[in-house]
Amino acid sequence: MPQPPIKPRATLTQPATKLLPSSLLSELLGRVDTDKRLVILDMGHAMASTVRFFGEYRCQLNFIDLCAEPFIVTPDHELSHNQRVILMREVLRLAPSAKIDICLFWDVFNYLDDAYIKALIEALEPYISPATAALVINPRDSRCYLPFCRYGIADQDHFMQIDNIGAQPTVFARSQRELNNLIDYFAIDRGRLISEGRAEYLLFENRDIDKTDRSMI
Amino acid sequence: MFSKYRKFINGSDDTSLDTDNKANNLGPAGQNALVGVGVTIEGQVLSHEDIVIAGKVQGALIAKNHHVHIAKSGVITADITAKIISIEGLVTGNITGSESVSLTATSIVYGNIECPRVSLEDGAKFKGSIEMNPGEPTQSVLPIFSVSNGKVRKSIIESGQIGTKASSL
Repeated sequence: MPQPPIKPRATLTQPATKLLPSSLLSELLGRVDTDKRLVILDMGHAMASTVRFFGEYRCQLNFIDLCAEPFIVTPDHELSHNQRVILMREVLRLAPSAKIDICLFWDVFNYLDDAYIKALIEALEPYISPATAALVINPRDSRCYLPFCRYGIADQDHFMQIDNIGAQPTVFARSQRELNNLIDYFAIDRGRLISEGRAEYLLFENRDIDKTDRSMI
Repeated sequence: MFSKYRKFINGSDDTSLDTDNKANNLGPAGQNALVGVGVTIEGQVLSHEDIVIAGKVQGALIAKNHHVHIAKSGVITADITAKIISIEGLVTGNITGSESVSLTATSIVYGNIECPRVSLEDGAKFKGSIEMNPGEPTQSVLPIFSVSNGKVRKSIIESGQIGTKASSL
């Protein structure tokens, strides 16, 4: 009787990789005009799958891994808001005229306290237009554990998820409403549950929305 | 392939280099320039052949119609311009490739990349922007022959301009 092939065991040096179904990624991608040159901001670790995916498009793909910045590990609580905004602008280093079409925040908000989120949002403002669409991964609610992963785009319906190695920075878990109130001119348009106690949110610029009572999931 | 340079690149007789060279489409040893692991160059490196950098380069690295390979031990603080660029080591600077740029899992790159085709392996550490245009013609040079008044003429044009220039010959 033929034996099934022996699968090699995963080692500690090979982080686990898996596909994560997404309902909102296709909506995000469907909103952008792919006939023009796209500007994409990925606020996570550069992933092969994301580069491969956007390699089909005429685009500028910016990788700015905020989790690699020292202020994530040792945030300076003495800084003023303006100093934090300047710090974020130095990290972003986008061309002054750039307008972002797709902003992939992934789970970065979970590693920033409220003051740093506000600074990031303000630093990004010159690059955001009404056409900007953004994507966020967040715990389903503030009590859920957040897996320590890096994310990429595998295809229109799937994220690529790779387990991170090392110590997870402090997680500032927030409910959808708490996050929505922090992101100023962005508003969570809709959310969908994904695996392991997480949710994905689709964000658009919306300055007129009433954020006092919304529950999208 | 490249075996006689192995010890200069890796500091040992590491046989994995043979595989690396095949994977990176580098030519035979005799057709490639090498900056060895113990070499530091400050200034502009202008190469008219494929080149492997296993040492340090500070300044600029230009090999417009050739392949530049940065080995694991390579430390580059320079802008790189080449046809094909493959990186296993550390690069701080902007990278312009006319055909392809590939970053392996061991690479660390701080800078902006501009190239029609860019590939990156998971594990690579990259901070910067990638400007991609998959429809952009590659800049490889092809000879074009045309017949005019009974004479055969040869002109060199860039592959992306065949349609325009060939019709005007």
